Amino acid sequence: MTWWAAIGLATMGVRRRPGRAVLTVLAVTLAAALLTALLTIATTAETRVLDELAKGGPLAGIKVAAATPDPAQIGQDNANPGAPKDLDQSALDRIRALPSVRDVVPVVSTKLLVISPTPDADGQPLAPFIETVVGVDLTQAPTLPITVVEGRLPAPGSTTELVVTEGYLERLGIARTDAARVVGSELQLAAAQARQEGDHLAARGRWFKALIVGVVAQEAADGQFLMATEQVNAARDWARAGVIDPRFATSTSAYTGLFVVADGLDNVGLVRKEITAVGYSTSAPENLIASVRRYLHVVEIVLTAVGAIALIVAALGIANAMLAAVRERRREIGVLKAIGSRDRDILRIFLVEAAVLGLVGGVLGAITGWLIAQVVGGVVNGYLVEQGLTGIALELPLTTMLATVVGSTVLAILAGTLPAARAARLPAREAVGAL
Amino acid sequence: MAGASISVDGLTHRYRSSSGPLTVLDDVRFEVDAGGYVAISGPSGAGKSTLLAVLGGLEAPQSGTVVIDGQDLHDRSRDQLAAYRRDTVGFVFQHFGLLDSLTAAENVALACALVRVPPREARARARTLLSAVGLADRLDHQPGTLSGGERQRVAIARALANQPRLVLADEPTGNLDTDSAALVVDLLETLPAEQGCTLVVVTHDRSLAARAARRFELVDGRIAEQVRS
Repeated sequence: MTWWAAIGLATMGVRRRPGRAVLTVLAVTLAAALLTALLTIATTAETRVLDELAKGGPLAGIKVAAATPDPAQIGQDNANPGAPKDLDQSALDRIRALPSVRDVVPVVSTKLLVISPTPDADGQPLAPFIETVVGVDLTQAPTLPITVVEGRLPAPGSTTELVVTEGYLERLGIARTDAARVVGSELQLAAAQARQEGDHLAARGRWFKALIVGVVAQEAADGQFLMATEQVNAARDWARAGVIDPRFATSTSAYTGLFVVADGLDNVGLVRKEITAVGYSTSAPENLIASVRRYLHVVEIVLTAVGAIALIVAALGIANAMLAAVRERRREIGVLKAIGSRDRDILRIFLVEAAVLGLVGGVLGAITGWLIAQVVGGVVNGYLVEQGLTGIALELPLTTMLATVVGSTVLAILAGTLPAARAARLPAREAVGAL
Repeated sequence: MAGASISVDGLTHRYRSSSGPLTVLDDVRFEVDAGGYVAISGPSGAGKSTLLAVLGGLEAPQSGTVVIDGQDLHDRSRDQLAAYRRDTVGFVFQHFGLLDSLTAAENVALACALVRVPPREARARARTLLSAVGLADRLDHQPGTLSGGERQRVAIARALANQPRLVLADEPTGNLDTDSAALVVDLLETLPAEQGCTLVVVTHDRSLAARAARRFELVDGRIAEQVRS
């Protein structure tokens, strides 16, 4: 018997009892929908949680400080740095050359005097203050632990744009939900160059203006402002041209720190060890991430098990429907055998019939599951935004959906095996009945 | 294509029943020449249907020999018996044995699909055969919309779809009115003969049996009488 003939007969077998077929497919659909929705939500939650831990950067990110490692804290997620140690180009090159290092992004920072035009929560003008401005190569922002909360990042290389952190909002007493209020305002900033005048220090400033183009959460380095490296370097060079002013605490290190990306989460520990051997202090949430991932994995297993149990129950429904179909179609099976069908032809017809039920249910279930996940995602997003947090973005879980469809079909075929084998083994004479 | 010769010798067949083994065929022996037309009659329970099932390869003979065209059906595997039914035998059942969900043409074409005839050729063959049995205007009708006689004619067309060498008909007129029965009998006697098939008809109907070239009377599992018409 050709495959087309088998598929045709199987399809007709399904259509013969439309009510039963619909109910069987519905059971598979619900189970597949449950599995798809649970896995989609679990995967999204995992991504979101890990994103939070990595602060928007890569999970395998390591912060390197311009300091020696504290021997007592090596390997800890948030190790305290030891004594300051200059981080220069040669150190950067050595770290970049280490095995398992995928990327290295230098971070610079300097303290500046800041004059904000935005009044505080009480409407009073904010007094000028000294705060750290962090400088990074903004073309490498995706590699860094920076998450845009409001607005956008400065254009790479721009000397007149910056972003502020939530720390700046707190300084102003502005809630995170009102972050948009500060976007568009212009700050005046000054790098101070100190010189000794008699017994006291006098300073002259290098002033510049910068437009706040966004609000970010960033962990690249401590500091409430982030902008392109060029302006930060210029400000720092200006300050360094003078004498040391303890208020501005200008470091002599070429880089304040580095952000190193290992070529895999499993290699974070190894890279940290290597950087420690080079002589610098590191920190990375590797232990926290590993432990959270373990918990998330357990949750994923439990949710998958719930969905799988539902699918197995649906598969038992298919087996039951198929057994009933075999009982009802003994004569038809006999006729097919009488005109020359082999046992495996009959087997094929019933397996295709089971596969059709599983496939249709799986496809409908995967689509329904995705829609359910969208609805749940919408509700969760509503809550997160209400709390002033970034919403979640559900990605079309193509792999999950495909796995659900394939799983439903395979399970249906397995469930149909016994009835199909029973049909195939029906003696031709008995199947024909009263010949 | 020439019909199949039949040689049955010492065929004995038993079924298990609650009261012990039940012998339904007891040392049956007969021969039919290729292209012959034989009727098997007898009372209910005489073993007619079992004999037809064994001749048609629906059941393997338990003891004795059943040789069709020089090939013994004894000890054949299920697949070999299926191939025998597919390539050599055409069945016509009292209950028609049509698949209700298929049209008349699809029922006939299905038999062709089993021997891997391409779909286009199978449909053409179905049209030709259904036209030959007078159902050219019923190609796309499902069995449920056809009369008993029409259904049996579809069954005859299907039985002849793969040019069998042996046609086995079980009470082909059992469910038909007189006019339909006459038409079906005419077709059964004409079409297989045109193809050179051997025809074996099991029937209660003495008038139908009388039309066969040879007639066997089966009583209590034994051939009681062999009559040459």
